[in-house]
Amino acid sequence: MTAGGLHYSRYRVGDRDEWMMRIGGGPALLFLPPLFEEMNRTRALLASVMRALAADGFECWLPDLPGTGESERALEDVSWDEWREAAAAAAASASPVCSVGLRGGALLDGGVERRWRFAPATGASLTRDLARAGLMTAGGGGYAPSAALLGPLEAAEPAAGGKVRTLRLATDPAEADLKLEGPPLWRRAEPQTSSELATAMACDISQWLRQ
Amino acid sequence: MTAALNDEQEVDQTLRAVLRDVLGLPEAQVAALDESSPLFGALPEFDSMAVAGLLTELEERLGILIEDHEVDADMLESFGSLLTFARSKSLQ
Repeated sequence: MTAGGLHYSRYRVGDRDEWMMRIGGGPALLFLPPLFEEMNRTRALLASVMRALAADGFECWLPDLPGTGESERALEDVSWDEWREAAAAAAASASPVCSVGLRGGALLDGGVERRWRFAPATGASLTRDLARAGLMTAGGGGYAPSAALLGPLEAAEPAAGGKVRTLRLATDPAEADLKLEGPPLWRRAEPQTSSELATAMACDISQWLRQ
Repeated sequence: MTAALNDEQEVDQTLRAVLRDVLGLPEAQVAALDESSPLFGALPEFDSMAVAGLLTELEERLGILIEDHEVDADMLESFGSLLTFARSKSLQ
């Protein structure tokens, strides 16, 4: 039983190793977190979803993209192509039956055939948020991604094709297969989690994959 | 004029819900906001990222488009100034 335990392993992107966190055992799920500050704000939510799915018999993988988490790279030096390459490398390493992409993470799930998405965001809306965060202060909320990241990100859309299931919050008017009640935790200045939302997400993923 | 009044109340309710969701404020604090309640600069939760989140959530939920040049400290100063702005954009 490894359901409660965290394991760390490396995956290779270009000529460098990056970290992946793993919980549980069973069919593998590749988690692709939101981008930039949203990643920090949803870390606790993601961890809750991963723990619930691990307890349900899945092996959950969460890669640190280059320039994030424990990566030795600086975000300023990372390009969008490298994030795409990293997501593909993480998928090759974990061999997932399904990806779980939140917000901007859904922009990186194209390498997995079966894709579960929560509140997927377009690159244009994410770059707009970054620009707006800089309206009232200097700098984009403390983040200074390179032009090689921001340029292609602005044009990025969640990939079409494959088997996709999309969930959104009830307050989001965009189309979805199912809407869940809950707060947009990726907007909160103080990182918070919602055990109700995490449980509802984990249940939906599990049910969809066992159909 | 009942319909117009309802619309104004709807914008008020939507704005309160966005503030609750984006800033993570307790329900009672959000319900107690009045037109003179200060926002940007007065609430620690209201940082620059929260401004971006607030604008995007308002756009999505009210079906409006907010231009960058419309965003300034005056518009975000109080609940009243933000409500006036949201009404002017959504009840045209």
